[in-house]
Amino acid sequence: MTGVADRVAATNAPVGSGLARASVAVVAAWAVPGLGHVLLGRLRRGLLFGAIVWISFGLGMAHDGRLALRDPRQPVLSALQIVANLGVGPADVLARIAVYGFPAYSFHSVPGPRAGDPIEETFRNRARTGVSIYGTAYLWTAGLMNLLLLFDVWDIALGRRP
Amino acid sequence: MRSHFLHMLLYSTLVAVFFAVLVRDTPSERRRLGALLWLAMVGGGLGLAYLMYPFPA
Repeated sequence: MTGVADRVAATNAPVGSGLARASVAVVAAWAVPGLGHVLLGRLRRGLLFGAIVWISFGLGMAHDGRLALRDPRQPVLSALQIVANLGVGPADVLARIAVYGFPAYSFHSVPGPRAGDPIEETFRNRARTGVSIYGTAYLWTAGLMNLLLLFDVWDIALGRRP
Repeated sequence: MRSHFLHMLLYSTLVAVFFAVLVRDTPSERRRLGALLWLAMVGGGLGLAYLMYPFPA
């Protein structure tokens, strides 16, 4: 239960007040899933949500989830996929450095069977592992859940949520 | 883990707990919504799989 204890703690929240407080909390929530709630005094809620997002992200990485790259042939769809990935904050950048060697967000060339692009090679090798579809679902879900949590943090910070 | 079924159970659990805590405030309401979401996802998945069973892979 995150009710009474959290609400009491919220009154002693260490972050300032008003829009500045809400903005700081939202940025913190994006940067480290769960941290926004913790800063607002919702410790248990923050830990639970943080755990769910991090578990989903970890499962995604462990199952070779697709770290989306901007594809000129599907600009809108691939951009939305990148937004979903970026929902987990800087962890996405670190994941791309670990996988691609640097924070890659687009193919170097138009993807196709001819290309010898190392980023594309890595991208396709991960997709071929057989578990990548599961990993991709976990990664996108982690990002989208964290984006939803930003609204929750915003509402809590502005007192719109009990 | 390569089991589609276990992934479905795990994924449904994560999503059900997430939304139950996000949109409900009391423990009983959360349990009810969480169970409903979980059953809808798992039951829906199994139901769809059953309906698709006669079709060739």
